[in-house]
Amino acid sequence: MATKKTLQDAQRTLRVRRLTRSTILAVVVYGIAVIYFFPILYMFISGFKTEIQAVNPSLIFTPTLETYAKVLSDSTIYLYLSNSAFQVIVGTSVCLILGMPAAFVLVFGKFRKRTTNESMYMWFITTILLPPVAVLIPLYTWYQSFHLNRTPLGLLIAYIGFHIPIVVWMLHSFISDIPLEIIEASEIDGCTRFQQLLHIAVPLARTGIIASGLLVAVFIWNEFFLGFNLTGNTTATLPVYMARFREQQGMFIAQLSASSTIAILPAILLGWMTQKSLVKGLMMGAVKG
Amino acid sequence: MKKKHDWLFALPAIIVVAVMTQVPFILTIIYSTLRWNLARPDMPIKFAGIDNYLYYLKIENWNEIPEFYSYVWQTILFTVVTLTLCTVIGFLLSLLLDNPVPGVNVARTLILGPFFVMSTASGVIWKTTILNTTFGWYGVIFKALGLQPVDLISYFPIPVIVFLFTWQWMPFFVLVILAGLQGIPYDLIDSMRIDGVNWFQSTFLIKLPIISNHIRVAIMLGLIFIVKEFGLILVTTAGGPGTRSYTLPYGVYMEVFNASNVGRASALATMTVVITLISVNMLYRSLKKRSGN
Repeated sequence: MATKKTLQDAQRTLRVRRLTRSTILAVVVYGIAVIYFFPILYMFISGFKTEIQAVNPSLIFTPTLETYAKVLSDSTIYLYLSNSAFQVIVGTSVCLILGMPAAFVLVFGKFRKRTTNESMYMWFITTILLPPVAVLIPLYTWYQSFHLNRTPLGLLIAYIGFHIPIVVWMLHSFISDIPLEIIEASEIDGCTRFQQLLHIAVPLARTGIIASGLLVAVFIWNEFFLGFNLTGNTTATLPVYMARFREQQGMFIAQLSASSTIAILPAILLGWMTQKSLVKGLMMGAVKG
Repeated sequence: MKKKHDWLFALPAIIVVAVMTQVPFILTIIYSTLRWNLARPDMPIKFAGIDNYLYYLKIENWNEIPEFYSYVWQTILFTVVTLTLCTVIGFLLSLLLDNPVPGVNVARTLILGPFFVMSTASGVIWKTTILNTTFGWYGVIFKALGLQPVDLISYFPIPVIVFLFTWQWMPFFVLVILAGLQGIPYDLIDSMRIDGVNWFQSTFLIKLPIISNHIRVAIMLGLIFIVKEFGLILVTTAGGPGTRSYTLPYGVYMEVFNASNVGRASALATMTVVITLISVNMLYRSLKKRSGN
Protein backbone atom coordinates (compact mmCIF):
# COMPACT_ATOMS: atom_id res chain seq x y z
CA MET A 1 0.00 0.00 0.00
CA ALA A 2 2.66 2.41 1.09
CA THR A 3 4.87 1.61 -1.90
CA LYS A 4 1.96 2.05 -4.27
CA LYS A 5 1.26 5.48 -2.91
CA THR A 6 4.86 6.58 -3.23
CA LEU A 7 4.90 5.29 -6.79
CA GLN A 8 1.84 7.37 -7.61
CA ASP A 9 3.44 10.34 -5.90
CA ALA A 10 6.60 9.87 -7.87
CA GLN A 11 4.64 9.66 -11.10
CA ARG A 12 2.74 12.78 -10.20
CA THR A 13 5.83 14.81 -9.35
CA LEU A 14 7.39 13.61 -12.58
CA ARG A 15 4.35 14.71 -14.54
CA VAL A 16 4.26 18.06 -12.75
CA ARG A 17 7.94 18.57 -13.41
CA ARG A 18 7.51 17.73 -17.08
CA LEU A 19 4.57 20.10 -17.32
CA THR A 20 6.45 22.97 -15.66
CA ARG A 21 9.40 22.31 -17.94
CA SER A 22 7.33 22.48 -21.09
CA THR A 23 5.43 25.52 -19.82
CA ILE A 24 8.67 27.41 -19.14
CA LEU A 25 9.96 26.31 -22.53
CA ALA A 26 6.80 27.52 -24.25
CA VAL A 27 6.97 30.88 -22.48
CA VAL A 28 10.63 31.30 -23.46
CA VAL A 29 10.02 30.28 -27.09
CA TYR A 30 7.01 32.53 -27.53
CA GLY A 31 8.66 35.38 -25.63
CA ILE A 32 11.69 35.32 -27.92
CA ALA A 33 9.54 35.00 -31.01
CA VAL A 34 7.34 37.95 -30.10
CA ILE A 35 10.28 40.18 -29.11
CA TYR A 36 12.07 39.27 -32.32
CA PHE A 37 9.05 40.05 -34.44
CA PHE A 38 8.11 43.10 -32.38
CA PRO A 39 9.34 45.88 -34.72
CA ILE A 40 7.26 44.46 -37.56
CA LEU A 41 4.31 43.86 -35.28
CA TYR A 42 4.49 47.36 -33.89
CA MET A 43 4.74 48.81 -37.39
CA PHE A 44 1.66 46.83 -38.35
CA ILE A 45 -0.20 48.13 -35.29
CA SER A 46 0.92 51.74 -35.71
CA GLY A 47 -0.66 51.85 -39.14
CA PHE A 48 -4.00 51.81 -37.35
CA LYS A 49 -3.13 54.84 -35.21
CA THR A 50 -3.64 58.49 -35.98
CA GLU A 51 -0.53 60.62 -36.34
CA ILE A 52 -1.02 62.07 -32.85
CA GLN A 53 -1.46 58.65 -31.25
CA ALA A 54 1.63 57.35 -32.99
CA VAL A 55 3.92 59.91 -31.37
CA ASN A 56 3.75 57.96 -28.11
CA PRO A 57 4.89 54.37 -28.39
CA SER A 58 2.09 52.43 -26.75
CA LEU A 59 0.02 49.40 -27.53
CA ILE A 60 -3.26 50.61 -26.06
CA PHE A 61 -5.30 52.88 -28.31
CA THR A 62 -8.50 52.91 -30.33
CA PRO A 63 -7.70 51.60 -33.81
CA THR A 64 -8.70 53.72 -36.76
CA LEU A 65 -8.46 53.34 -40.51
CA GLU A 66 -7.84 57.06 -40.92
CA THR A 67 -4.15 56.70 -41.70
CA TYR A 68 -4.68 53.91 -44.21
CA ALA A 69 -7.37 55.98 -45.90
CA LYS A 70 -4.92 58.87 -46.12
CA VAL A 71 -2.06 56.76 -47.45
CA LEU A 72 -4.26 55.01 -49.98
CA SER A 73 -5.83 58.26 -51.19
CA ASP A 74 -2.37 59.42 -52.26
CA SER A 75 -1.73 58.21 -55.79
CA THR A 76 2.06 57.87 -55.36
CA ILE A 77 1.84 54.60 -53.45
CA TYR A 78 -0.12 53.03 -56.31
CA LEU A 79 2.56 54.17 -58.71
CA TYR A 80 5.30 52.47 -56.67
CA LEU A 81 3.15 49.41 -56.03
CA SER A 82 2.46 48.95 -59.72
CA ASN A 83 6.12 49.56 -60.61
CA SER A 84 7.17 46.87 -58.14
CA ALA A 85 4.41 44.52 -59.26
CA PHE A 86 5.47 44.93 -62.89
CA GLN A 87 9.11 44.11 -62.08
CA VAL A 88 8.13 41.10 -59.97
CA ILE A 89 5.54 39.58 -62.30
CA VAL A 90 7.30 40.10 -65.62
CA GLY A 91 10.79 39.58 -64.16
CA THR A 92 9.93 36.33 -62.39
CA SER A 93 8.04 34.95 -65.40
CA VAL A 94 10.87 35.65 -67.82
CA CYS A 95 13.43 34.23 -65.37
CA LEU A 96 11.42 31.00 -65.15
CA ILE A 97 10.77 30.79 -68.90
CA LEU A 98 14.46 31.20 -69.70
CA GLY A 99 15.81 29.39 -66.65
CA MET A 100 13.72 26.22 -66.81
CA PRO A 101 14.91 25.01 -70.27
CA ALA A 102 18.47 25.92 -69.33
CA ALA A 103 18.32 23.97 -66.07
CA PHE A 104 16.71 21.05 -67.91
CA VAL A 105 19.47 20.66 -70.49
CA LEU A 106 22.11 21.22 -67.82
CA VAL A 107 20.84 18.05 -66.18
CA PHE A 108 19.71 15.88 -69.12
CA GLY A 109 21.19 17.53 -72.19
CA LYS A 110 23.90 15.77 -74.18
CA PHE A 111 26.74 17.88 -75.46
CA ARG A 112 29.84 17.09 -77.39
CA LYS A 113 31.91 17.11 -74.25
CA ARG A 114 30.73 15.26 -71.15
CA THR A 115 31.93 18.00 -68.85
CA THR A 116 29.94 20.74 -70.59
CA ASN A 117 26.91 20.25 -68.34
CA GLU A 118 29.00 20.59 -65.20
CA SER A 119 30.98 23.59 -66.41
CA MET A 120 27.91 25.46 -67.62
CA TYR A 121 26.27 24.83 -64.26
CA MET A 122 29.33 26.17 -62.45
CA TRP A 123 29.29 29.21 -64.70
CA PHE A 124 25.75 30.02 -63.61
CA ILE A 125 26.65 29.47 -59.96
CA THR A 126 29.66 31.78 -60.02
CA THR A 127 27.46 34.49 -61.52
CA ILE A 128 25.45 34.48 -58.28
CA LEU A 129 28.61 35.59 -56.49
CA LEU A 130 28.95 38.72 -58.61
CA PRO A 131 27.80 41.73 -56.57
CA PRO A 132 25.65 44.31 -58.40
CA VAL A 133 28.28 47.02 -57.89
CA ALA A 134 30.38 45.19 -60.46
CA VAL A 135 27.91 45.99 -63.24
CA LEU A 136 26.34 49.24 -62.11
CA ILE A 137 28.65 51.66 -63.90
CA PRO A 138 28.54 50.12 -67.41
CA LEU A 139 24.78 49.59 -67.13
CA TYR A 140 24.39 53.21 -66.14
CA THR A 141 26.43 54.48 -69.10
CA TRP A 142 24.81 52.00 -71.55
CA TYR A 143 21.36 52.98 -70.45
CA GLN A 144 22.16 56.63 -70.96
CA SER A 145 23.18 56.04 -74.55
CA PHE A 146 20.25 53.70 -75.29
CA HIS A 147 17.70 55.91 -73.51
CA LEU A 148 16.96 53.10 -71.09
CA ASN A 149 17.99 55.09 -68.06
CA ARG A 150 15.14 55.52 -65.59
CA THR A 151 12.84 53.26 -67.59
CA PRO A 152 11.10 50.17 -66.22
CA LEU A 153 12.53 48.12 -69.08
CA GLY A 154 16.12 48.94 -68.16
CA LEU A 155 15.67 47.80 -64.58
CA LEU A 156 13.72 44.74 -65.72
CA ILE A 157 16.46 43.36 -67.96
CA ALA A 158 19.01 43.92 -65.21
CA TYR A 159 16.82 41.98 -62.78
CA ILE A 160 16.32 39.17 -65.28
CA GLY A 161 20.07 38.86 -65.86
CA PHE A 162 20.77 38.74 -62.14
CA HIS A 163 18.05 36.30 -61.14
CA ILE A 164 18.25 33.67 -63.88
CA PRO A 165 21.29 32.09 -62.17
CA ILE A 166 19.30 31.71 -58.94
CA VAL A 167 16.45 30.03 -60.84
CA VAL A 168 18.89 27.72 -62.62
CA TRP A 169 20.61 26.85 -59.36
CA MET A 170 17.42 25.97 -57.52
CA LEU A 171 15.72 24.22 -60.43
CA HIS A 172 18.84 22.19 -61.19
CA SER A 173 18.50 20.38 -57.87
CA PHE A 174 14.81 19.71 -58.36
CA ILE A 175 15.25 18.48 -61.94
CA SER A 176 18.10 16.19 -60.86
CA ASP A 177 15.47 14.31 -58.83
CA ILE A 178 13.67 13.25 -62.01
CA PRO A 179 14.68 9.63 -62.79
CA LEU A 180 16.81 9.31 -65.90
CA GLU A 181 14.74 6.24 -66.90
CA ILE A 182 11.68 8.39 -67.58
CA ILE A 183 13.66 10.65 -69.88
CA GLU A 184 15.27 7.71 -71.67
CA ALA A 185 11.94 5.93 -72.08
CA SER A 186 10.37 9.04 -73.57
CA GLU A 187 13.32 9.36 -75.91
CA ILE A 188 12.71 5.84 -77.20
CA ASP A 189 9.05 6.72 -77.68
CA GLY A 190 10.14 9.54 -79.93
CA CYS A 191 9.73 12.53 -77.66
CA THR A 192 11.65 15.60 -78.69
CA ARG A 193 13.60 17.57 -76.11
CA PHE A 194 10.92 20.21 -76.17
CA GLN A 195 8.16 17.70 -75.49
CA GLN A 196 10.21 16.18 -72.66
CA LEU A 197 10.63 19.59 -71.14
CA LEU A 198 6.99 20.54 -71.45
CA HIS A 199 5.30 17.24 -70.59
CA ILE A 200 7.75 15.55 -68.23
CA ALA A 201 10.14 18.01 -66.61
CA VAL A 202 7.75 20.88 -65.98
CA PRO A 203 5.05 18.80 -64.26
CA LEU A 204 7.57 16.78 -62.22
CA ALA A 205 9.57 19.81 -61.10
CA ARG A 206 6.43 21.77 -60.28
CA THR A 207 7.30 22.33 -56.62
CA GLY A 208 10.76 23.51 -57.60
CA ILE A 209 9.38 25.90 -60.18
CA ILE A 210 6.99 27.38 -57.64
CA ALA A 211 9.68 27.60 -54.95
CA SER A 212 12.26 29.27 -57.16
CA GLY A 213 9.63 31.55 -58.64
CA LEU A 214 8.53 32.70 -55.20
CA LEU A 215 12.12 33.16 -54.05
CA VAL A 216 12.99 35.28 -57.09
CA ALA A 217 9.75 37.22 -56.64
CA VAL A 218 10.73 38.07 -53.05
CA PHE A 219 14.27 39.01 -54.15
CA ILE A 220 13.05 41.32 -56.90
CA TRP A 221 10.40 42.85 -54.66
CA ASN A 222 13.05 43.68 -52.05
CA GLU A 223 15.96 44.58 -54.36
CA PHE A 224 17.27 48.03 -53.65
CA PHE A 225 20.72 48.76 -55.07
CA LEU A 226 19.88 48.51 -58.78
CA GLY A 227 16.37 49.85 -58.25
CA PHE A 228 17.76 52.88 -56.49
CA ASN A 229 20.42 53.68 -59.06
CA LEU A 230 18.65 52.84 -62.30
CA THR A 231 15.21 54.34 -61.76
CA GLY A 232 13.79 57.84 -61.65
CA ASN A 233 10.95 59.39 -59.68
CA THR A 234 8.17 57.84 -61.74
CA THR A 235 9.76 54.44 -62.24
CA ALA A 236 11.04 53.78 -58.71
CA THR A 237 10.07 50.60 -56.87
CA LEU A 238 8.81 50.25 -53.31
CA PRO A 239 12.20 49.80 -51.58
CA VAL A 240 13.29 53.10 -53.13
CA TYR A 241 10.07 54.72 -51.96
CA MET A 242 10.74 53.46 -48.41
CA ALA A 243 14.28 54.83 -48.47
CA ARG A 244 13.08 58.24 -49.62
CA PHE A 245 10.08 58.31 -47.31
CA ARG A 246 11.54 60.64 -44.72
CA GLU A 247 12.87 63.14 -47.22
CA GLN A 248 9.61 63.31 -49.13
CA GLN A 249 6.91 62.85 -46.53
CA GLY A 250 8.63 63.99 -43.35
CA MET A 251 8.45 62.33 -39.96
CA PHE A 252 4.98 60.81 -39.89
CA ILE A 253 5.18 57.61 -37.92
CA ALA A 254 1.62 56.39 -38.57
CA GLN A 255 1.85 57.04 -42.30
CA LEU A 256 5.27 55.46 -42.42
CA SER A 257 3.91 52.38 -40.65
CA ALA A 258 0.91 52.06 -42.95
CA SER A 259 3.01 52.47 -46.10
CA SER A 260 5.70 50.07 -44.98
CA THR A 261 3.06 47.51 -44.03
CA ILE A 262 1.76 47.70 -47.59
CA ALA A 263 5.32 47.46 -48.90
CA ILE A 264 6.49 44.46 -46.88
CA LEU A 265 3.34 42.37 -46.44
CA PRO A 266 3.42 40.70 -49.89
CA ALA A 267 7.04 39.62 -49.43
CA ILE A 268 6.46 38.30 -45.91
CA LEU A 269 3.40 36.31 -46.99
CA LEU A 270 5.15 34.89 -50.05
CA GLY A 271 8.20 34.13 -47.91
CA TRP A 272 6.20 32.27 -45.31
CA MET A 273 4.51 30.20 -48.00
CA THR A 274 7.79 29.17 -49.54
CA GLN A 275 9.88 28.43 -46.43
CA LYS A 276 9.78 24.61 -46.67
CA SER A 277 10.69 24.28 -50.32
CA LEU A 278 13.20 27.11 -49.98
CA VAL A 279 15.35 25.07 -47.59
CA LYS A 280 15.03 22.01 -49.78
CA GLY A 281 16.15 23.88 -52.88
CA LEU A 282 19.00 25.65 -51.13
CA MET A 283 20.36 22.53 -49.45
CA MET A 284 20.14 20.29 -52.50
CA GLY A 285 21.69 22.93 -54.69
CA ALA A 286 24.47 23.52 -52.22
CA VAL A 287 25.29 19.88 -51.52
CA LYS A 288 25.55 19.04 -55.18
CA GLY A 289 27.19 22.30 -56.19
CA MET B 1 19.97 11.85 -80.74
CA LYS B 2 20.04 15.33 -82.20
CA LYS B 3 22.69 16.71 -79.94
CA LYS B 4 22.88 20.09 -81.63
CA HIS B 5 19.52 21.25 -80.38
CA ASP B 6 20.31 20.95 -76.68
CA TRP B 7 22.35 24.11 -76.86
CA LEU B 8 19.35 26.10 -77.96
CA PHE B 9 17.57 25.46 -74.67
CA ALA B 10 20.32 27.03 -72.60
CA LEU B 11 21.35 29.69 -75.08
CA PRO B 12 18.78 32.43 -74.30
CA ALA B 13 19.51 32.21 -70.57
CA ILE B 14 23.26 32.23 -71.17
CA ILE B 15 23.07 35.23 -73.50
CA VAL B 16 20.91 37.27 -71.12
CA VAL B 17 23.05 36.46 -68.10
CA ALA B 18 26.28 37.12 -69.97
CA VAL B 19 25.11 40.42 -71.45
CA MET B 20 23.73 41.71 -68.17
CA THR B 21 26.40 40.48 -65.76
CA GLN B 22 29.66 39.27 -67.29
CA VAL B 23 29.99 41.80 -70.12
CA PRO B 24 29.36 44.78 -67.83
CA PHE B 25 31.87 43.39 -65.37
CA ILE B 26 34.54 43.18 -68.06
CA LEU B 27 33.65 46.74 -69.05
CA THR B 28 34.03 47.79 -65.42
CA ILE B 29 37.56 46.40 -65.47
CA ILE B 30 38.26 48.32 -68.69
CA TYR B 31 36.75 51.53 -67.29
CA SER B 32 38.95 51.18 -64.24
CA THR B 33 41.99 51.91 -66.39
CA LEU B 34 40.51 55.15 -67.75
CA ARG B 35 40.61 58.71 -66.52
CA TRP B 36 36.93 59.46 -66.92
CA ASN B 37 34.93 61.96 -64.94
CA LEU B 38 31.27 62.49 -65.85
CA ALA B 39 31.26 65.87 -64.17
CA ARG B 40 34.10 67.10 -66.36
CA PRO B 41 33.03 66.60 -70.00
CA ASP B 42 35.77 69.04 -71.03
CA MET B 43 38.43 66.55 -69.98
CA PRO B 44 38.88 63.83 -72.61
CA ILE B 45 38.58 60.20 -71.55
CA LYS B 46 42.13 58.99 -71.39
CA PHE B 47 43.96 55.79 -70.62
CA ALA B 48 45.30 56.06 -67.12
CA GLY B 49 46.87 52.66 -66.52
CA ILE B 50 46.76 51.73 -62.88
CA ASP B 51 46.43 55.32 -61.62
CA ASN B 52 42.90 54.72 -60.36
CA TYR B 53 44.05 51.73 -58.35
CA LEU B 54 47.05 53.61 -57.00
CA TYR B 55 44.71 56.38 -55.84
CA TYR B 56 43.10 53.89 -53.48
CA LEU B 57 46.02 51.66 -52.65
CA LYS B 58 49.09 53.87 -52.46
CA ILE B 59 50.15 54.83 -48.96
CA GLU B 60 52.29 57.94 -49.17
CA ASN B 61 52.04 58.97 -45.61
CA TRP B 62 51.39 56.52 -42.81
CA ASN B 63 49.46 59.12 -40.87
CA GLU B 64 46.95 59.47 -43.69
CA ILE B 65 46.08 56.00 -44.85
CA PRO B 66 43.74 56.11 -47.89
CA GLU B 67 40.06 55.62 -47.12
CA PHE B 68 40.02 52.45 -49.17
CA TYR B 69 41.60 50.53 -46.32
CA SER B 70 38.97 51.67 -43.87
CA TYR B 71 36.22 50.69 -46.34
CA VAL B 72 37.74 47.22 -46.58
CA TRP B 73 38.16 46.98 -42.82
CA GLN B 74 34.60 48.12 -42.16
CA THR B 75 33.16 45.74 -44.74
CA ILE B 76 35.07 42.83 -43.24
CA LEU B 77 34.11 43.88 -39.71
CA PHE B 78 30.39 44.13 -40.55
CA THR B 79 30.37 40.84 -42.40
CA VAL B 80 32.46 38.77 -40.00
CA VAL B 81 30.76 39.97 -36.81
CA THR B 82 27.30 39.58 -38.37
CA LEU B 83 28.04 36.08 -39.64
CA THR B 84 29.47 35.03 -36.28
CA LEU B 85 26.48 36.35 -34.36
CA CYS B 86 24.08 34.82 -36.86
CA THR B 87 25.75 31.43 -36.62
CA VAL B 88 26.07 31.28 -32.83
CA ILE B 89 22.71 32.77 -31.88
CA GLY B 90 21.03 31.11 -34.84
CA PHE B 91 22.29 27.71 -33.70
CA LEU B 92 21.18 28.22 -30.10
CA LEU B 93 17.80 29.53 -31.18
CA SER B 94 17.36 26.59 -33.55
CA LEU B 95 18.04 24.20 -30.66
CA LEU B 96 15.33 25.96 -28.69
CA LEU B 97 12.87 25.88 -31.58
CA ASP B 98 13.59 22.19 -32.14
CA ASN B 99 11.71 21.40 -28.91
CA PRO B 100 8.18 20.03 -29.10
CA VAL B 101 6.32 23.08 -27.80
CA PRO B 102 2.64 23.26 -28.82
CA GLY B 103 2.24 25.54 -31.80
CA VAL B 104 5.99 25.99 -32.22
CA ASN B 105 5.44 26.59 -35.91
CA VAL B 106 3.87 29.94 -35.10
CA ALA B 107 7.01 30.96 -33.21
CA ARG B 108 9.21 29.75 -36.08
CA THR B 109 7.16 31.70 -38.58
CA LEU B 110 7.35 34.88 -36.51
CA ILE B 111 11.12 34.61 -36.19
CA LEU B 112 11.46 34.02 -39.93
CA GLY B 113 9.56 37.25 -40.67
CA PRO B 114 12.40 39.84 -40.66
CA PHE B 115 14.28 37.92 -43.36
CA PHE B 116 11.65 38.75 -45.96
CA VAL B 117 11.38 42.43 -45.08
CA MET B 118 13.06 44.76 -47.57
CA SER B 119 16.18 46.19 -45.97
CA THR B 120 15.21 49.82 -46.49
CA ALA B 121 11.88 49.27 -44.74
CA SER B 122 13.47 47.50 -41.79
CA GLY B 123 16.05 50.28 -41.51
CA VAL B 124 13.38 52.96 -41.49
CA ILE B 125 11.16 51.06 -39.04
CA TRP B 126 13.99 50.52 -36.58
CA LYS B 127 15.21 54.06 -36.93
CA THR B 128 11.86 55.74 -36.28
CA THR B 129 9.80 53.42 -34.10
CA ILE B 130 12.46 51.73 -31.98
CA LEU B 131 15.77 53.60 -31.87
CA ASN B 132 14.45 57.17 -31.99
CA THR B 133 15.24 58.89 -28.69
CA THR B 134 11.90 60.75 -28.50
CA PHE B 135 9.32 58.72 -30.40
CA GLY B 136 10.83 55.24 -30.24
CA TRP B 137 10.50 52.46 -27.70
CA TYR B 138 14.16 52.69 -26.84
CA GLY B 139 13.84 56.36 -25.86
CA VAL B 140 10.63 55.85 -23.92
CA ILE B 141 11.88 52.84 -21.98
CA PHE B 142 15.16 54.54 -21.13
CA LYS B 143 13.37 57.65 -19.90
CA ALA B 144 10.98 55.54 -17.84
CA LEU B 145 14.01 53.95 -16.19
CA GLY B 146 15.36 57.40 -15.43
CA LEU B 147 18.23 57.12 -17.91
CA GLN B 148 19.20 59.58 -20.58
CA PRO B 149 18.89 57.86 -23.98
CA VAL B 150 21.79 58.64 -26.32
CA ASP B 151 21.30 58.65 -30.07
CA LEU B 152 22.62 55.19 -30.83
CA ILE B 153 22.78 55.70 -34.60
CA SER B 154 25.16 58.64 -34.37
CA TYR B 155 27.23 57.42 -31.42
CA PHE B 156 27.43 53.71 -32.19
CA PRO B 157 26.81 53.42 -35.94
CA ILE B 158 28.78 50.23 -36.43
CA PRO B 159 27.19 48.19 -33.62
CA VAL B 160 23.75 49.40 -34.71
CA ILE B 161 24.32 48.30 -38.31
CA VAL B 162 25.75 44.96 -37.20
CA PHE B 163 22.73 44.50 -34.95
CA LEU B 164 20.29 45.27 -37.76
CA PHE B 165 22.13 43.02 -40.22
CA THR B 166 21.98 40.26 -37.63
CA TRP B 167 18.30 40.85 -36.97
CA GLN B 168 17.61 40.52 -40.66
CA TRP B 169 19.86 37.56 -41.47
CA MET B 170 19.63 35.36 -38.37
CA PRO B 171 16.17 34.08 -39.39
CA PHE B 172 17.75 32.65 -42.50
CA PHE B 173 20.32 30.81 -40.39
CA VAL B 174 17.55 29.51 -38.13
CA LEU B 175 15.61 28.34 -41.19
CA VAL B 176 18.53 26.37 -42.57
CA ILE B 177 19.97 25.07 -39.27
CA LEU B 178 16.56 24.05 -37.96
CA ALA B 179 15.96 22.08 -41.14
CA GLY B 180 19.23 20.30 -40.40
CA LEU B 181 18.30 19.56 -36.80
CA GLN B 182 14.94 18.19 -37.83
CA GLY B 183 16.62 15.94 -40.34
CA ILE B 184 18.50 14.10 -37.58
CA PRO B 185 16.91 10.64 -37.38
CA TYR B 186 14.84 10.05 -34.28
CA ASP B 187 16.59 6.70 -33.62
CA LEU B 188 19.82 8.55 -33.02
CA ILE B 189 18.27 10.92 -30.50
CA ASP B 190 16.58 7.97 -28.81
CA SER B 191 19.79 5.99 -28.50
CA MET B 192 21.60 9.05 -27.18
CA ARG B 193 19.03 9.28 -24.43
CA ILE B 194 19.40 5.59 -23.58
CA ASP B 195 23.19 5.88 -23.51
CA GLY B 196 22.87 8.73 -21.02
CA VAL B 197 24.54 11.38 -23.12
CA ASN B 198 24.27 14.77 -21.46
CA TRP B 199 23.00 17.93 -23.13
CA PHE B 200 26.43 19.36 -23.84
CA GLN B 201 27.70 16.17 -25.46
CA SER B 202 24.59 15.62 -27.51
CA THR B 203 24.52 19.20 -28.75
CA PHE B 204 28.13 19.92 -29.54
CA LEU B 205 29.61 16.49 -30.17
CA ILE B 206 26.75 14.80 -32.01
CA LYS B 207 24.23 17.28 -33.38
CA LEU B 208 26.69 19.98 -34.42
CA PRO B 209 28.86 17.73 -36.62
CA ILE B 210 25.76 16.27 -38.27
CA ILE B 211 24.40 19.65 -39.28
CA SER B 212 27.78 21.21 -40.15
CA ASN B 213 26.84 21.09 -43.82
CA HIS B 214 23.75 23.19 -43.17
CA ILE B 215 25.76 25.74 -41.21
CA ARG B 216 28.26 25.89 -44.06
CA VAL B 217 25.53 26.62 -46.58
CA ALA B 218 24.02 29.31 -44.35
CA ILE B 219 27.39 31.03 -43.85
CA MET B 220 28.27 30.91 -47.55
CA LEU B 221 24.96 32.39 -48.71
CA GLY B 222 24.94 34.87 -45.83
CA LEU B 223 28.41 36.08 -46.83
CA ILE B 224 27.44 36.52 -50.47
CA PHE B 225 24.38 38.57 -49.60
CA ILE B 226 25.66 40.56 -46.61
CA VAL B 227 28.75 41.83 -48.45
CA LYS B 228 26.56 43.53 -51.03
CA GLU B 229 24.11 45.00 -48.54
CA PHE B 230 23.57 48.67 -49.27
CA GLY B 231 20.05 49.87 -48.50
CA LEU B 232 20.19 49.38 -44.76
CA ILE B 233 23.33 51.50 -44.44
CA LEU B 234 21.89 54.21 -46.67
CA VAL B 235 18.70 54.65 -44.66
CA THR B 236 20.16 54.29 -41.16
CA THR B 237 23.54 56.02 -41.05
CA ALA B 238 24.02 57.12 -44.69
CA GLY B 239 27.60 55.93 -44.33
CA GLY B 240 28.23 58.30 -41.47
CA PRO B 241 29.34 59.82 -39.26
CA GLY B 242 31.91 60.85 -41.84
CA THR B 243 32.79 57.65 -43.60
CA ARG B 244 32.78 55.45 -40.53
CA SER B 245 30.06 53.10 -41.71
CA TYR B 246 31.04 53.02 -45.38
CA THR B 247 31.32 49.60 -46.94
CA LEU B 248 32.86 48.86 -50.33
CA PRO B 249 29.53 48.92 -52.25
CA TYR B 250 28.64 52.15 -50.52
CA GLY B 251 31.99 53.65 -51.51
CA VAL B 252 31.42 52.71 -55.15
CA TYR B 253 27.98 54.31 -55.08
CA MET B 254 29.34 57.56 -53.63
CA GLU B 255 32.19 57.64 -56.13
CA VAL B 256 29.82 57.36 -59.12
CA PHE B 257 26.88 59.45 -58.02
CA ASN B 258 28.53 62.06 -55.86
CA ALA B 259 31.97 62.36 -57.39
CA SER B 260 30.90 61.21 -60.90
CA ASN B 261 34.31 59.64 -61.24
CA VAL B 262 33.69 56.62 -63.44
CA GLY B 263 37.33 55.55 -63.58
CA ARG B 264 37.90 55.52 -59.84
CA ALA B 265 34.51 54.02 -59.09
CA SER B 266 35.24 51.21 -61.53
CA ALA B 267 38.58 50.53 -59.90
CA LEU B 268 36.87 50.37 -56.51
CA ALA B 269 34.13 48.11 -57.89
CA THR B 270 36.71 45.77 -59.42
CA MET B 271 38.57 45.53 -56.13
CA THR B 272 35.27 44.90 -54.34
CA VAL B 273 34.54 41.95 -56.61
CA VAL B 274 38.06 40.57 -56.22
CA ILE B 275 37.90 40.83 -52.43
CA THR B 276 34.44 39.24 -52.37
CA LEU B 277 35.50 36.33 -54.55
CA ILE B 278 38.70 35.76 -52.57
CA SER B 279 36.87 35.73 -49.25
CA VAL B 280 34.09 33.46 -50.51
CA ASN B 281 36.72 31.11 -51.88
CA MET B 282 38.75 31.16 -48.65
CA LEU B 283 35.67 30.57 -46.53
CA TYR B 284 34.55 27.76 -48.79
CA ARG B 285 37.89 26.01 -48.55
CA SER B 286 38.32 26.41 -44.81
CA LEU B 287 34.80 25.21 -44.10
CA LYS B 288 35.21 22.30 -46.46
CA LYS B 289 38.47 21.27 -44.79
CA ARG B 290 36.98 21.48 -41.32
CA SER B 291 33.97 19.37 -42.15
CA GLY B 292 36.31 16.76 -43.59
CA ASN B 293 35.07 16.20 -47.12
